[in-house]
Amino acid sequence: MFRFLLVCIILLNSISAHPVIFKNGKVFWISQSTKFNDLRLGVSKTNKWLVGGRILQDRRSDETFALLNNNYLAKRWNSKNAQANIYILSSVGINTKNSESMGTVGVHGDWENRQLMVMQMFEYFSHNSSWMSGSRLAYSPYTVDYTKMSTWLIAEYQVEYKNDNLSYMLIPVVRVFKNNYLFEIGSNGEDSFLSFMIHF
Amino acid sequence: MKKHIEYILLVILFLNLGFSQSKVTIQDKEIMLNENEAVVEVLGMVCSMCAFGIGEGFSNTDFIDKSKFNEGVMVDIDAQYVQLAINESANINPANIVKVIEEAGYDVSTLFILQNKKLTKFSTDKLGILQPMAYNQSRSKNN
Repeated sequence: MFRFLLVCIILLNSISAHPVIFKNGKVFWISQSTKFNDLRLGVSKTNKWLVGGRILQDRRSDETFALLNNNYLAKRWNSKNAQANIYILSSVGINTKNSESMGTVGVHGDWENRQLMVMQMFEYFSHNSSWMSGSRLAYSPYTVDYTKMSTWLIAEYQVEYKNDNLSYMLIPVVRVFKNNYLFEIGSNGEDSFLSFMIHF
Repeated sequence: MKKHIEYILLVILFLNLGFSQSKVTIQDKEIMLNENEAVVEVLGMVCSMCAFGIGEGFSNTDFIDKSKFNEGVMVDIDAQYVQLAINESANINPANIVKVIEEAGYDVSTLFILQNKKLTKFSTDKLGILQPMAYNQSRSKNN
């Protein structure tokens, strides 16, 4: 169960925003749920490659995981009023208590314009040979200048395959962002999370 | 005699002011371009964080006049363009502007530069190379 929650929280955070940003741009990201504290910092070395570190703490067992992320933008299509992307994601890390290692590899695709966004992601987890799928369908009811607050209503659907079993989870999420700040809150009654991210 | 000279100077000043502005069109939106300014139509710029990344890119260059707009940059996400104030002393190379946009992760469709009272239009060709294009420019003394 713990590992299921761990991969859930990893996925939940991985699909929250673009995995690679502008050249030399930095990302600071903090997320908290009832079960986890999560802190990450990344640097886009180029507009196609971001490396970062991450600290993930299980608040119940007081276990902490240290992870290194490596995100690569494989392809971007820029067009008038829209963009689409394919990313290759990977990470390696350890449990700081027992040094048990873990690794992930995944692919992330998205398309968005000013008011609609669709996203799909698959990720494989080496430590328990499981995979997860995350999907997002998002709608922004209004468009504003980038200096004003933008709001997105998101339906997030997750599927996990582990030990020959499939499990599903649907989470409604509200995202607001303004300038270089992003805030998200999501809850389905059983699970909930808060996230804050800044680009600088 | 003195009044005549003043009149001539005023006419010269008026003509100079008049020809230091041009009107360009991006995505059906008319944009007034002043001397030492550029307008870039950017493909893929759909969110505020995209706009922020582009602004950050230009803030690290030496050809932007940060006394104008917002640190020298004005972004319109709806019309998908970025307007830039360029230092008077900088003889701008359009490739430098394109480089900043591309390093932020986006593509340039069209670029207008008004410098030395000359409006130049560049468009990206099928090979993705920015080329100077003929432009039927609209200049106004009043605007």
